[in-house]
Amino acid sequence: MDKVKGIIKLIHSLVPDNKNIRIMNVCGSHEHTIAFSGMRSLMPENLEIIPGPGCPVCVCPESDIINAINLSKREDVILVTYGDMLRVPTQKGSIRTEGKNFRMITSPFEAINIAKSNTDRKIIFFSIGFETTTAPTAGILEMGVPENLFILSSHRLTPTIMEILVKDAEIGIDGFIAPGHVSAIVGTNAWNVFSEKYGIPTVVAGFEAGNLLLGILEILRQLKNGKAETSNVYKGVVKPEGNMQAQKLMDKYFEVANVNWRGIGYIPGSGLELREKYSWKDARIVFELEEVKETKIPGCICGTIVLGKAYPSACKLFRKACTPKTPKGPCMVSMEGSCNIWYKTL
Amino acid sequence: MRNSNSKIEIGHGSGGKLTRDLIEKVFLKYLNSEELKPLEDAAYINLKNQHTAITTDSYVVRPLFFPGGNIGKLSICGTVNDLAVSGAKPRYLSIGFILEEGFPIESLEDIVKSISETSKNAGVSIVTGDTKVVEKNKCDGVYINTTGVGEIIKPLSLNNISAGDAVIITGTIGDHGTAIALARNEFDIKAPVVSDCAPLTDLIMPVFEIDGLKWMRDPTRGGVSTVLAELSDITGLGVEIFEAQVPVRDDVRFISDMLGYDPLYLANEGKAIIIASSESADTIVSILKKHPLGKNAAIIGNISSEFRRARLKTTIGGERLLDMLEEDMLPRIC
Ligand code: SF4
Repeated sequence: MDKVKGIIKLIHSLVPDNKNIRIMNVCGSHEHTIAFSGMRSLMPENLEIIPGPGCPVCVCPESDIINAINLSKREDVILVTYGDMLRVPTQKGSIRTEGKNFRMITSPFEAINIAKSNTDRKIIFFSIGFETTTAPTAGILEMGVPENLFILSSHRLTPTIMEILVKDAEIGIDGFIAPGHVSAIVGTNAWNVFSEKYGIPTVVAGFEAGNLLLGILEILRQLKNGKAETSNVYKGVVKPEGNMQAQKLMDKYFEVANVNWRGIGYIPGSGLELREKYSWKDARIVFELEEVKETKIPGCICGTIVLGKAYPSACKLFRKACTPKTPKGPCMVSMEGSCNIWYKTL
Repeated sequence: MRNSNSKIEIGHGSGGKLTRDLIEKVFLKYLNSEELKPLEDAAYINLKNQHTAITTDSYVVRPLFFPGGNIGKLSICGTVNDLAVSGAKPRYLSIGFILEEGFPIESLEDIVKSISETSKNAGVSIVTGDTKVVEKNKCDGVYINTTGVGEIIKPLSLNNISAGDAVIITGTIGDHGTAIALARNEFDIKAPVVSDCAPLTDLIMPVFEIDGLKWMRDPTRGGVSTVLAELSDITGLGVEIFEAQVPVRDDVRFISDMLGYDPLYLANEGKAIIIASSESADTIVSILKKHPLGKNAAIIGNISSEFRRARLKTTIGGERLLDMLEEDMLPRIC
């Protein structure tokens, strides 16, 4: 604890009085630790820790969810996906309320087992998330999946969205806390662009409060020295080159695509779709899915929050009409969503 | 003899012969208090004390059997504990079953058996009951309602609480919620977490004697956090809890971290929060520690008039809000 106190003291000493400093985290688990440890209450007033796009469920397009709901209504289908996905609201309800044949899984391997024990059904794995969940999906494809298993890919790329944010002067990011799990896959090298091209200190951190504080300290140290670097305080887990095997597999099965982010819009090169070679596994093609026009959720500013342009408390519905029991937008549903996390801790 | 192979039929709820059979072969086999035996429409009970506490609760937990208990045990503990934390000595219980057609009578026996054991441990008699059967798929095996009556020994009220009082917890938190989450097999995690489901009568009654005792509550759904947030809401006082002092099993903490839960919001079925004057807090903790259910009892915080709401001082020294919340990922935990 004394060590933590020491780090906090150093953080205070490194923040200049006359300047606001904005550090963004881009990972739901980081935001979870920051909020649940009450870290913001220990920071100097002019140091902001902003939650960014760390919640894949929050940005998953409404269209994909509605397609998933419709697929689950087919008698010959079982839709499988991660728990948070089931409760995300759309204009047509959620998978849990409107879907029919669906199951929650915690890892893609369960999808294989479900496919094996239901050979008379088509199992559609609604595979969402950033690099951390893409890699295991590529992994099962490489292992060989049963004939009756199909993938509905709604994967998103972290570095691409971060680059969009860095260029947005309205947000004004001074430093990034790079996500620990994603970094384990893509490597610290994936973040070099931020320090080298944009001069933004970028530090990979783990999930303990102490380690995150160390990450913040490192960003402040770089800001003070006026030299941006990509560094890593989560050393045991993250290597510069990342997990090359996972990267190779992801590249083998997926290709970069222009995709929609819910509440934000289309971002070039920010998502992953199955390569054409594997189109026979691609639920979008096999089931001829069509895009459903996205509707705005009245009052919900999830998209703005994901981009770090507003805090959940700025939403008029936060804590009033919108609570974890009556979520109006996706950010209140997922445990990685900023609204959900802030609801529990603010 | 066990009723293997037989299943609940619609007729078991008809009130006729089959019902009588079920009562005799299953319920009376295990539950046979003097008051219950006459099988009249109402039981005559004898309350010495004029001041009586009464409470009721329904149980719909899924799965019906989980590590550390089952819906039967839970239906006794839940109601008994509501009485005990109200400063009452639990005396009599009514029990109502809603059974699904096709439910194995053998499983029902297991449930009734633990009802019998648990009510004995808790020192309560089951004096009247009811059974209804609904068609297949109209309920999830078994639902139970229990109503409990107890003698008030130490009247408690939120009004007794004042700034400077201590907040005590009788043991580790989040065990029940975690055990249920794991028992649902929705997560690929194996861990030996057992529900803390237990009647608190024995543990708590000695505390009734202590003058500084102000108020108690069992933190079931919504956990410790919800109870304290409610306390603060009603009294207008602040509550501060110190994370480092809150007892949490290592595996519960680990699993919570993994699943994004917070033990402070997870359900307990064998714990009580006790608010007591700061002078009496140590005595109460040492009384609790003498009982096996209270060996991890600890003072975890205090009441303040300097701020409102309930808040947590985290291990790193940060502060965060504790609010009222049912862990939204876990419906039907009790
Ligand atoms: S509080 Fe609810 S409505 Fe508001 S931004 Fe968050 S999810 Fe959307």
